[in-house]
Amino acid sequence: MIQQGEHVNVQSFDALASGSDNHLEPTDLIVSTKELSLGFGQKTVIADIDLSFPRGSITALIGPSGSGKTTFLRTLNRMNDNVKGFTRTGDVLFNSESIWSPNIDLLALRRRVGMLFQRANPFPMSIEQNVIAGVKAHNIAKKSQLKQIAKMRLEEVGLWQAVETRLHDSPFRLSGGQQQLLCLARALAIGPDVLLLDEPTSALDPTSIEAVENLILSLSPAITFIVVTHNLAQARRISHNTAFFFEGQLTEYGPTKHIFEDPSRPETQRYVSGRMG
Amino acid sequence: MNHSIAVRERSRATLLKRFFSIKAVSRIAAFLPPAALVFATAILFAEALPAIKYNGLGFLTHTQWRPGNFYVNPVTTNGVTHPVGALYGALPLILGTLESSVLALVIAVPVSIGAALIIVEKLPDHLSQTVGLFLEVLAGIPSVIFGLWGTLTLGPMLARDVFPLISQIVPNIAFFKFFKGNTGHGEGLLTSGIVLAIMVIPIIASTSRDLLRQVPRLTKEGGAALGFTDWETNRWISLPWIRTGLIGASVLGLARALGETMAVAMTSGAVLGANPSNAFLPMTTIAATIVSQLDSALTDATGLATRTLAEGALLLTLIALATNIAARLLVRRVSSTALPVGRGI
Ligand SMILES: Nc1ncnc2c1ncn2[C@@H]1O[C@H](COP(=O)(O)OP(=O)(O)O)[C@@H](O)[C@H]1O
Ligand SMILES: [Mg+2]
Repeated sequence: MIQQGEHVNVQSFDALASGSDNHLEPTDLIVSTKELSLGFGQKTVIADIDLSFPRGSITALIGPSGSGKTTFLRTLNRMNDNVKGFTRTGDVLFNSESIWSPNIDLLALRRRVGMLFQRANPFPMSIEQNVIAGVKAHNIAKKSQLKQIAKMRLEEVGLWQAVETRLHDSPFRLSGGQQQLLCLARALAIGPDVLLLDEPTSALDPTSIEAVENLILSLSPAITFIVVTHNLAQARRISHNTAFFFEGQLTEYGPTKHIFEDPSRPETQRYVSGRMG
Repeated sequence: MNHSIAVRERSRATLLKRFFSIKAVSRIAAFLPPAALVFATAILFAEALPAIKYNGLGFLTHTQWRPGNFYVNPVTTNGVTHPVGALYGALPLILGTLESSVLALVIAVPVSIGAALIIVEKLPDHLSQTVGLFLEVLAGIPSVIFGLWGTLTLGPMLARDVFPLISQIVPNIAFFKFFKGNTGHGEGLLTSGIVLAIMVIPIIASTSRDLLRQVPRLTKEGGAALGFTDWETNRWISLPWIRTGLIGASVLGLARALGETMAVAMTSGAVLGANPSNAFLPMTTIAATIVSQLDSALTDATGLATRTLAEGALLLTLIALATNIAARLLVRRVSSTALPVGRGI
């Protein structure tokens, strides 16, 4: 567990900034958690997490199954609020304001903090409608612009050529990888600041994995990414910072290079070297 | 070695035989429902044939229902012996059947879907179970009880408190003119439609509820994560996901309403040949006519009256059949747009 959260944040930010041209304020944390403990019923899933995500960074959350990564991630845009038995203490700040503050509108929060799930979940509507569903819900664009937005987002995720001639067809006939890219296009269409990804490529073929990874890299730093992954190589490839969850604790957090090559804790060492779960 | 092979061969043979006999039985079983339908329709047709000959196409267009004079000697026309002056026109019955059923569906479908959404998405488990039980009980109540309640309690109440209000509120244009004017005494089209709606709501609501439970949580969460309101998630995800099933459930309800007899016979006023000028006045349906006219029809020595009732029954069967076929075509169209193959039923 990390005792000096602030210190670690600054360190990790330095590591990030040194590798990029963009100058970011060290204090520019888009999301941070404060003594966040989560559980279901009597059970505590994770305890006392102080973790901060610099604006524009890509953070990987790694750890064995059941270590609470999904629960943590889903809390960041309040997807757990209505889950039966869910308990929480502590807080999550988005742009320095509690996401449970009465000033925060839940729907607006979810527009700013989007999410991509482990399995693709297209809506039962045409491919084009899928992309613009969120745009319509939030009333972001004029009706006449919707087609253009759909095209732009499909191009952005590299799906346009494949679906150009079947925009009005069912999304369920697309391959798994294409469906996941469609869901990504849908999430991007409402212009989120943060994207939460829960093992977004675990059900995909290598080509689609590469497509998603490249997309994440190209969208950073405009979008801050928080990515749960079981694919350690993926974490190394795409993330600036890595957080290691283990047995209900945030065991270690720091620059990805540091976590993988010179971790401070023996559990981290064992996990990243493949000797655990 | 040889011995064991023989045993294996033999057991395989019995297995095969058993397999084929199961297959044969299930094949016969599969043919039973269509066979029963064809058989019943054929019997009805044979029974109705003299009436079909005598009534001709006028059966579908005339508005009079006159059994004729049973007390003078029958005469023969087109080879059919019939009472003098017999004239059967089923147009009001056909219209009444369609109008009351469609009215029932127009009321029942939104109410049922709304109820199902509340049961699945809003109510805590124990409450949704209680409501589910209530629906099942409601579905099991004999229709004569609904009929009695409709004619003694609901009808008069509607005529006193609700119909005048409706007649006042609706605009005096086109379609809505049907809900203006004399508000009657509570026996009529709208009362029947409402009673029918109450009878088919349990069917449609419980089917919709079961369908809604099959919508994947992951897909609904996709909506929530995108900042959908609950209403948007329901409208854009859950209901489209199950839309073919919803059509099926509605047709189930429609079939029930089309064929419902006692409740309509008791709440419609069952006025033969009635062609109500508005929704509040007495009317009748094919099924209600069959049950209310059977007694007197049996006194027609020529048999034409009962054969005409059989013709009505045949017509009702054909209407139900046509409804089902139309629904099937609709389902095919709707399911081809966005649902995963084989999903949503
Ligand atoms: N809705 C839920 N109700 C009860 N327990 C849950 C629920 N979701 C997750 N859990 C429990 O929380 C723990 C952490 O799960 P999860 O966050 O999915 O871990 P991870 O994503 O790291 O594999 C697990 O023990 C799991 O059983
Ligand atoms: Mg998980």
